[in-house]
Amino acid sequence: MLARAGAPLLVVAILTAGARAAAAPDSPPDPGAGAGIDAAATPAEAAFPEAPFGPHYVIEEVRVTGNRKTQTSLIVGELAVLGLSPGASVDASDARVEMARYRLLSLGYFLDVHLSVIRGSKRGAVVLVVAVEERGTLVINELFPATSEATLFWGGADVSEMNFLGRGINLGAGFVASTKPVVPGAHAGLGLRLHVGVPPLGGPDGVGLSVTGLYNDGSEFYRASGDDSDPDPGRFVATRVKRAGGVLTAGKMFPHNLHATASFREEWVDATLPSLQTQTLPNGSPGPPIDFMINPGSSRVGTGAVGLDYDTRSDPVLPRSGMRTALSVEVGTAAFGSSYGFVKTVFNGSFYARMPRGALGFHLFAGAIDGVAPYFDRFFVGDLDLLLPRRALGINFSTQPAPSFLLHSSIAAERYDNYAGRLLVEYAVPVWRHKGLVYGGDAFVAAGLFAMANDEDTLSSPSVGLTGDLGLRLDTYVGVFTVSIANVLSRSSF
Amino acid sequence: MRSRRLAAAVVVASALTAPSPRARAADPAPLREVGFGVKNGRLVVSVGLQDLFGPAERARLKSGFATRILVRAALEEASSGDPVALAVQRAEIVYDIWDEKFAIRISDGLGAERRTVAATAEEAIGRAAVLLDASVIEAVRLHPGTDYVLAVRGDLNPISEDLLVEVRRWLVQPARGQRRLGAGDSFFGSFVSIFVNPRIEDSERQVRFVSQPFLWGQVPPPPPPPKPQPTRTHR
Repeated sequence: MLARAGAPLLVVAILTAGARAAAAPDSPPDPGAGAGIDAAATPAEAAFPEAPFGPHYVIEEVRVTGNRKTQTSLIVGELAVLGLSPGASVDASDARVEMARYRLLSLGYFLDVHLSVIRGSKRGAVVLVVAVEERGTLVINELFPATSEATLFWGGADVSEMNFLGRGINLGAGFVASTKPVVPGAHAGLGLRLHVGVPPLGGPDGVGLSVTGLYNDGSEFYRASGDDSDPDPGRFVATRVKRAGGVLTAGKMFPHNLHATASFREEWVDATLPSLQTQTLPNGSPGPPIDFMINPGSSRVGTGAVGLDYDTRSDPVLPRSGMRTALSVEVGTAAFGSSYGFVKTVFNGSFYARMPRGALGFHLFAGAIDGVAPYFDRFFVGDLDLLLPRRALGINFSTQPAPSFLLHSSIAAERYDNYAGRLLVEYAVPVWRHKGLVYGGDAFVAAGLFAMANDEDTLSSPSVGLTGDLGLRLDTYVGVFTVSIANVLSRSSF
Repeated sequence: MRSRRLAAAVVVASALTAPSPRARAADPAPLREVGFGVKNGRLVVSVGLQDLFGPAERARLKSGFATRILVRAALEEASSGDPVALAVQRAEIVYDIWDEKFAIRISDGLGAERRTVAATAEEAIGRAAVLLDASVIEAVRLHPGTDYVLAVRGDLNPISEDLLVEVRRWLVQPARGQRRLGAGDSFFGSFVSIFVNPRIEDSERQVRFVSQPFLWGQVPPPPPPPKPQPTRTHR
């Protein structure tokens, strides 16, 4: 009858059947049911009509509300980049409106942003109202708690206020401090950093400036005796090195995801070398003099550097496709007042390919130093091998050599070198998304090779090591944590 | 008319009994009663998603800019979870600040578009955030004796794939002061200073649920148009 009347034949839940029907009203039919809704939908099906819909406006004024801390000019500038400024036309369904909202959200200064219009002086003319809700902008960049055989404990943090004084100024500070290492002659380490970055001058696509000040007072360790694979701190000697200085950097974003930087660094260095300056070979005979890779007494490091960064990754945290490559060249020369003359070139590239159940990442690192650089500017094994503790604010606290998984590998002897390379292959599988303060989590497994050489003579036959990791990478409200086997083996957290 | 009232009753009841829309993909999808039927030889569904709108979202309907509602409904085999068909409805609501009326544009997965006007926000939501006899699949393609469920996901102001990519790129721009990955940093770094704003998700608000399961008729399915026959159903 209903069909005859032309009305829809609606059957309200009467298709529910038999035994299933009895259980259905109170519980979902199946714990996994409904999971396919995301897989079934495609971007094309989610695409809204492009034809404009609704009234057409001319913006008379841009009014910002709710910004007790953030400068109005900063917000208005972000909108102007998208053409949303006085005199501009905009449709009610204009995609730039949503884009502006997310552009402001991506600054990290706001919990929420909403755009609306109110009537202007005549029909069709409007005041564009941008209502923002500010958020706390203190962000943890890095945590350093760790331990090693040489240093019982070191810890610290690097934090940033991203919107200092409401002007989009990034003010950051970091510190790391350690107990006194058990290496003979070593001193407790202390590292300090102060970072200030101002928003790009002349608008979001202008030139951004940043200054980083640093102070380090710590020890570096050098093998004095024993086998290369022996981590016993008693077989090392220590220097005491104080560093104070800073880096001035100018950066600009170019079209096509290209970011360029130029920087100038100046440091004053004071190094105290140990009295024991000759190595004793494992057989007890006198060995070569220890290369401390630092000038005794006072010296200076002055460098100029340029860098290019190209980033097309689908996601900065858990990428599924795209690439990121970065190339930097740093020159230390007497023209910059440097006591050390060197050219340091570093290439870093990551390439991602989407896989049926995750993403495959290839990570390539290559670096070369020509000339004589201080040890802290050379490539450190702990920064290459995932299984070793990394340096914290430029200070090393460990005597642990790289494990030699390969036969006849001399990688255990390498600590600071002029040439380094690494190739890692990583496979990551998403485990979950959108769960409270943890936005997402990927399980990952990575494996690769790294190589180090100290001079051109050994460059043709570098020391090669194996490295890898297995764990979870968590994208959380306060940053990205990695919980992995390497964390455990390197005795460092996160 | 009776069927319209029934549909309306299901739509309202389903929305009123709905849980919080904060549930996201990882949470088990709650159950919501959905009206199933056959119209012109096609399975049609009716259900309300008015709970996509909280008080704040209702107030923002008068922003003068478009509010978008995307509803996707996947018919799945209950046993395997395999999707059988997908129905999509896209709706936009725009408040005219001079005429003080809500204009609504609705399109479905086949591109058919209809426009209407509502006097109040409630009325506008009632038209835009509801599936009313939404066509899912030709009834003849359903297998008698098979259990099906309808998995539904509604998104308020969903962010497009292109914009999501763009947003993610903004997040990684060093000039925007949110990243400190330098050339020498490890890509496996222990703690990377990328701050992801919690509001930057794939939509402003989301509702997910699954319908009660239904067993497709043990009897032959109705013939296709143009001569639709009354359909017998099982309880």
